[in-house]
Amino acid sequence: MSQQIPLTWFLYFASAAFAIGLMGVLMRRNAIGVLMAIEIMLNAANINFIAFWRYGDAPAGEGPLTGVMMALFVVTIAAAEVAVGVGLILLCYRRWRVADVDEFDTLSG
Amino acid sequence: MIQALFIALSAFGLFMALGTVFARNLVHAALYLVAFFFVVACQFVLLEAEFMAAIQVLIYIGAVAVLLMFGIMLTRNITGDETTIVTGQWRLLGIGVAGAVMIVLFLGINGFKPWTDLGVRPEFPVTAESTTPRGQAILAMTPTVGREMMTRYVVPFELAGLLLTAALVGAVVLAQYDRTDETSAAAESPQP
Amino acid sequence: MAHFEMLTGTDLTPILAQRMYYEQVDLVLWFRWGLYLFAGFFGVFPLIVAYVVLAERKIAARFQDRIGPNRVGPFGLLQPFADFIKLIIKESIVPKGANSFVHILAPILTLISAFLVLAVIPFGIGLAPVDLPSGLLYMVSVSSIAALSIFLAGWSSRNKYSLLGAMRGVAQLVSYEIPQVMSVLPVILWSGSLSLVSIVQTQQYDQGWFLFSPPGILGFFLLLISSIAEVNRAPFDLPEAESEIIAGFHTEYSGMRFGLFFLGEYLNVFAICCLSTTLFLGGGSLPLQGYFAGESHHMLAAPFDASRQSTIKLNAHHEFPENPSTGFKIHITNSAGDKEAFQVSHRVGNELVLMANRPVEFKADTNSRVSAAARPSYAAPWHLSNLLMIPVFFAKVFFLIFVMFWIRATLPRVRVDRLMSFAWKTMVPLAIANIFVATIWFEIVIRPAGGFTSRVIAWIVTGILTAGVVAIVFRINRNSYKANDPERRPTLISRSGDSLLAATTQGL
Repeated sequence: MSQQIPLTWFLYFASAAFAIGLMGVLMRRNAIGVLMAIEIMLNAANINFIAFWRYGDAPAGEGPLTGVMMALFVVTIAAAEVAVGVGLILLCYRRWRVADVDEFDTLSG
Repeated sequence: MIQALFIALSAFGLFMALGTVFARNLVHAALYLVAFFFVVACQFVLLEAEFMAAIQVLIYIGAVAVLLMFGIMLTRNITGDETTIVTGQWRLLGIGVAGAVMIVLFLGINGFKPWTDLGVRPEFPVTAESTTPRGQAILAMTPTVGREMMTRYVVPFELAGLLLTAALVGAVVLAQYDRTDETSAAAESPQP
Repeated sequence: MAHFEMLTGTDLTPILAQRMYYEQVDLVLWFRWGLYLFAGFFGVFPLIVAYVVLAERKIAARFQDRIGPNRVGPFGLLQPFADFIKLIIKESIVPKGANSFVHILAPILTLISAFLVLAVIPFGIGLAPVDLPSGLLYMVSVSSIAALSIFLAGWSSRNKYSLLGAMRGVAQLVSYEIPQVMSVLPVILWSGSLSLVSIVQTQQYDQGWFLFSPPGILGFFLLLISSIAEVNRAPFDLPEAESEIIAGFHTEYSGMRFGLFFLGEYLNVFAICCLSTTLFLGGGSLPLQGYFAGESHHMLAAPFDASRQSTIKLNAHHEFPENPSTGFKIHITNSAGDKEAFQVSHRVGNELVLMANRPVEFKADTNSRVSAAARPSYAAPWHLSNLLMIPVFFAKVFFLIFVMFWIRATLPRVRVDRLMSFAWKTMVPLAIANIFVATIWFEIVIRPAGGFTSRVIAWIVTGILTAGVVAIVFRINRNSYKANDPERRPTLISRSGDSLLAATTQGL
């Protein structure tokens, strides 16, 4: 049934979502907002992985689940990234009482 | 029919992603993000990867979104906040860069396969006699993922385990409520 | 043997059969599903919840030497309807500063997650609404939405107590999800499937209840304890501890929105009792049914060599299902007395198509005997054995619900830091160790399809190991169970006088 959807549509959706995520990373001032935008970008990448896996030919000797495995590892790393990221943000917030990335400028001359 | 469904779903998902980026209230942004995650899970179902959809709901909605909300609660006053987006020319710059990236990506996709090409995806027959490895993997994704994790991808799997352990320890160390640190910080009273 | 094995080695049979079953979705099936949905959402489950609530009030009253509700109807049996009407006609108030959309969304999310969980539970033959190949994973993932709804309820109420309850609730739910998932891993290992139907069938026809093994007992209790924590019931009801934080995350809810929370909570109780029953208590099967499953015997019509053939010709075949929703097992005993178990995928005429997960060297002549437990498919419309299975299933479920009421009436509430340290220092190590013990049970009993002696050996070995693990974990943790250690008391106010509570609620 869902065979009728062409590959490019998934790619268009993923690239639009990626661009929106990039926009969020560039425009958000709150560190957690930035993390959310990064999550959007990672999800967009995951859609690409799965779409190419489903539509493409299986490369010889690479197993039947190339894209899915890649997406699974992306999910793993995203979870770890959020855990560490939120921990870092909490630490920064405790020290400086703000969570805006613009305020963390101690290292700038 | 299914194409219309896909378009409606994708439009909803992109709208939610925009909401995540532009919402003034961070908790609302997180809610939009949850909706976006859910749309991505639906896309996985449309790609016949139900296992990934379950993982998506479990990890992104059940863990990541909740963690992000916890982060929001511990770092802001809870009624929400204003001015979390850069203003003026910076905002224009952000939109411009993201738009440029999107246009480049769209052109790239169009060059890879023109938008008029509505090729359907290869089908894998699901009868017992004529299943290919790929078709079997689609049918029984969970056991296949398990088998692949333990054979072909065992090194990445172990590395991911190591990474998760390191992240666990790191997050605990980072977020630990250190009293000496707190008092010294209060004594120095650094201003941002 | 069968060429599945050469490709991925995965047992595809149940999934394929299921695909075929769902591909022939016709009007009758649609009607059946529609009936399920309607009857389930508007009739059966709310009714069950209503009477579970009444039963809880009655039972709690008995524990406290009271009578309980007895005014509305005979023995108070109409009390749930009176409560329902009261909730309906009460005014639904949204607090002034609250975020009204999120405020309404939260109870709906609770209810959605509770109902979605119930979609995969096999209540009886023909009463397994959807049999997903990865049903358990689906269950875990949809029940994790509950944490989100509790958070949203607490946040949107604009009330300090709601917020505190929500933060407690989310921390508790996230922590206890880990032992909950880990405690069901032995079941997945033993049954070799994530589909709840095939888990039940394994217990019903092959293994007996998974509870009847030392790792199974430990896993069952871990699952029960963490499930009680997952649904926020006493002694883990910190998110709504009325003596500390009014009513926790649903302080600001009134009328039918509170009713939705209430419905969702009790539906969750019902769902996790169904889950425990399905995973460890064998669903609708009787205690020893797996050991004494009724077997039918057949003679081979042609010689059989397992290393070359993948089909068996039989003389009689009528008991075998043509297209089972999950594969079924047969045992072949050849004239030398050797016995071997085979997984059957489906039947074509009087030939059984076999599959194997490992290479087998086994030969059988025509004097060999084929025995198989007759197992009705769960996708069958209706089966006479439902008359036994459904009452047995619900008896188990309501016994577990009674146990939860019992615990609630008996135990005092856990302190918040104890709650967390119990999850992380006791439950998680026990659950991890239990997986290892479960593999030993798997190797001794399940993989070689062992009989009575191997079960006895396995009981001794894993029993000692399980007891040892429990003793070690509790021994290491003995300091954290000490009463009244002032150093371990939780503080919301740090020593420097900087209030975390004030920091998080400064906007109020």
